[in-house]
Amino acid sequence: MNTIAVNTTFSSGRSGVSTLRKRSITIARLRVLWVAIIFACVASAAVARIGYLGVSDNTIRTTSLADALLPPRGELTDRNGVPLARAFPAYALWYNPKALGDPSDPLVKSARDVAVELQAIFPALDIEVTAEKLAAGRPGYLQRRVLPEQANQVMAIGELALELPRETDRHYPQGSMGAHVLGYVDAEGQGKVGMEQVLNDRLTDPALRGEPVALSIDMRAQGALEDELRRGMLATNAKGAAGIVLDVDTGEVMALASLPEFDPNKIDAEGVNYMFNRVTNQVYELGSTFKPLTVAAAIDAGTVRDFGRRYDASPVEVGRFKIKDSHFIGNHLNVAETLIHSSNTTTARIADELGPTKLRQAMIDMGMNERPYIELPAKGHPIWPGEKWPRLRNMTVGYGHGIAVTPLHLANAYAAMVNGGVWRPATLHKIQPGAAPKGRRVFKASTSSRMRQLLRMIAVYGTGKNADAPGFRVGGKTGSAEKPGKGGYRQTTLVSTFAAAFPMDKPRYVVVAMLDEPKGTTASSYQRTAAWNAAPIVGKLIPRIGPVLGVRPDTSRDIDLSDLKPLLGAE
Amino acid sequence: MNTSQPYIPRAGERIVSSERFQSSKRAELKIWWREIDRVLLFLVILLMAFGAAAVAAASPATARRLSTIDVTLPDLYFYWAHLKWQFIGIVTLIGASMLSRDNARRLGVLVAAGALFMLILVPVLGSEVNGAKRWINLGMRFQPSEFLKPGFAIALAWILSWRLRDPNLPVLAIVSGLMGFVGVLLMLQPNLGATLLFGGVWFVLVLLSGVSIQRIGALIGIGVAGFTATYFLYDNARNRIDAFLGGGTAFDQVDLAQRTLLAGGWTGSGLWLGVRKLNLPEAHTDYIFSVIGEEFGLIVCALVVFLYLAIIARVLVRLADEENLFALLAGAGLVTQIVGQAFINILVNLQLFPSKGMTLPLVSYGGSSTIAVGLTVGLLLAITRRNPFLTRETPGLRTILPAKGALVQKVGRK
Repeated sequence: MNTIAVNTTFSSGRSGVSTLRKRSITIARLRVLWVAIIFACVASAAVARIGYLGVSDNTIRTTSLADALLPPRGELTDRNGVPLARAFPAYALWYNPKALGDPSDPLVKSARDVAVELQAIFPALDIEVTAEKLAAGRPGYLQRRVLPEQANQVMAIGELALELPRETDRHYPQGSMGAHVLGYVDAEGQGKVGMEQVLNDRLTDPALRGEPVALSIDMRAQGALEDELRRGMLATNAKGAAGIVLDVDTGEVMALASLPEFDPNKIDAEGVNYMFNRVTNQVYELGSTFKPLTVAAAIDAGTVRDFGRRYDASPVEVGRFKIKDSHFIGNHLNVAETLIHSSNTTTARIADELGPTKLRQAMIDMGMNERPYIELPAKGHPIWPGEKWPRLRNMTVGYGHGIAVTPLHLANAYAAMVNGGVWRPATLHKIQPGAAPKGRRVFKASTSSRMRQLLRMIAVYGTGKNADAPGFRVGGKTGSAEKPGKGGYRQTTLVSTFAAAFPMDKPRYVVVAMLDEPKGTTASSYQRTAAWNAAPIVGKLIPRIGPVLGVRPDTSRDIDLSDLKPLLGAE
Repeated sequence: MNTSQPYIPRAGERIVSSERFQSSKRAELKIWWREIDRVLLFLVILLMAFGAAAVAAASPATARRLSTIDVTLPDLYFYWAHLKWQFIGIVTLIGASMLSRDNARRLGVLVAAGALFMLILVPVLGSEVNGAKRWINLGMRFQPSEFLKPGFAIALAWILSWRLRDPNLPVLAIVSGLMGFVGVLLMLQPNLGATLLFGGVWFVLVLLSGVSIQRIGALIGIGVAGFTATYFLYDNARNRIDAFLGGGTAFDQVDLAQRTLLAGGWTGSGLWLGVRKLNLPEAHTDYIFSVIGEEFGLIVCALVVFLYLAIIARVLVRLADEENLFALLAGAGLVTQIVGQAFINILVNLQLFPSKGMTLPLVSYGGSSTIAVGLTVGLLLAITRRNPFLTRETPGLRTILPAKGALVQKVGRK
């Protein structure tokens, strides 16, 4: 058609431009596809990223707004809700030399002037050291734990390089009280030593950390225990002391102390040395405190039936070994006198009559062959005599030698002995009423009630007189064991223990107090034995903790001792 | 059949409008409706409608943040304001899309010239907001760079198409010089994000204008070098890039944005039920994508990405069939402008790109910027207008591709 003809004639005049146009268009049309591909790549990257973010756990991690309001680590309280460990929003004093933009000249005033002003706020700060730090121009902490008013004073210095970041810190409002129970939180935020370590996951769990965790500890009892133990330890120049108050029916630990203690608020080299827990970690030969356990096993097995029967109190010779008493008590002693005067010889004979199999089984039943049952991470393994007990070993175990256990083992065994015969593991968790573990029966109820009488008699007539707090019906047994040293027992270094329970007509709590290497001082009438140092601690402690733990002093009540009392002093 | 000679334009002659096609408003509208890219219009309107919902979601966050003791902004303050601006934006969009291609080009070049003039004035007259001098206050505060966006692509495309008239014109040099000038003006503000975006448009246009592969490679190298130089010379960029690479500090805006984005999971917390957004600065503008993530869910976020991809795919596929070089360049430039900005914003929200301070076009709240985006889309619609009854005289892409393949092989053998 002629239309096309005209068109071709027209464009033929500018054929160069036409080819250029065609070529340009062709290239542009192709490259439009490149652009489309680039955008498709970007879009798929974006979609892939959305998918990646969607399946990553960031979604869960970042959803909870409540996270910000919760403490970074859950609180610990005592059984009544008194805070023992809490998150404390503190300030820190951080030196940021870059704050003014020029790290070579970080301060407005001279470094020394600033150091002097800081020292006025924090008296413990050394002016020279601080001035050096400021002049060095390296970022770092100048002070941890700055109080709000101190923070205001630092702000008033007017140096931008002194920054006050907020940091949440772990704070133990009771100071060093209950340090071994609580433990501490290290710089990485991990709980150490005590319940902080045991409950680390629970306390940092975002779902649970809003709820404080109640321990079984009663803060008032804990304070009294530490106070009395410290007094006793200082009065006798002892190396250390340990104590525990245990609920006999539930196994809850009401107080647990190991001295010297550390301060969880301020962990230093000295504190680290004292982190060792004498109650749960250190094993001792606890001596005469084992005698009631042997007697209980013998009553339970039926080898002790007649309380009027007298045992020969002369030294027992087994091979070349001779078991003696510390002083002459009498030629013949009955069971009650054995415990009251703490006779090694008659106890050995009772144990001998019982036999190693039965005594060993009773000890196993009381958990003496394994680490103590408690949540704390530091638990000592007893020195256990093993499979087959020779006759001599059976006798020495009977009065607490040749076997080494922790004070907690002893407290657990005493609880089983007085509570009707049921052994329960100790716990630092608060147990709701009625939720106590069933436990296992190790003694008959009749044995238990007989033991209450005997323990009460020791406190009334025997070595435990110093522990007999009026009205609290205390019963308990002393134990003064020589510590083994190089080449045998050292007669001058003792472990004095008093294991008690109260009130004996209806026992509620076991108290064990132990002094490590007490010296004879005026306070203990120049005696080293438990009757003069450990027993008085318990005697002073029980009137303090009894009322707060629900035991009122009542001098008109006591356990009935009328059937056993006539047996005393008959010889 | 008409036997008379068809009209052929010659130099110095003007088109005499035919009496027979006397146009009425109604007829014009009909023609407009027939010629316009209705799929693109639908996608844009869809995105704007979704934008209204997203601003409704983000509005309480910003309104509460900006409320003072004296003035309490109602929660939906920004929503209603946004609807107002969107209305003006849509009117602008429809109005601009009614222009003929030539008029659209003229308007675009005029807008570009005006905006460039304003941009030159910014260092003198501008008001400073958040440490950057980007705004000019003429009764209404606006960013000249926003209005430069629709004009810039058209102006560059126009200049590049000069080459068809006179192959000897140094169009590439002119275009690059213009880009450099705009870049310098923007960095004076400073506004790295916009520089990057304009640079992207310039790059796409230069790419389409047929520059050789070697030079494109060199350009990419220069781009990387330039970006590195920016890092060392430009504090704000360095801080943001450091924050991006180093993961940032807790509770900086990037971190807050990500927390917000992920707070709703896949399906979102529901409209007005999000809580993270309340801590987010610029919830209604720069970080609206994160608010969408919290309240509508990550699936909807992916849908938004696909919507933008659909827009650019639609425009580019249609342009691949275009025979007018100017229309092709201008269309590609305009769509790169819009979708490029959208993707930069989305990648910032997804932490794939350092924080840039750039809004999500068609979705984010904005006054002058909504109008400017409306103008951009309107001009894009006008330029891609096409008479559906005309058949293409250029061969289809399918016939070009093998030829191109052969070309590549030839080059490879050399």
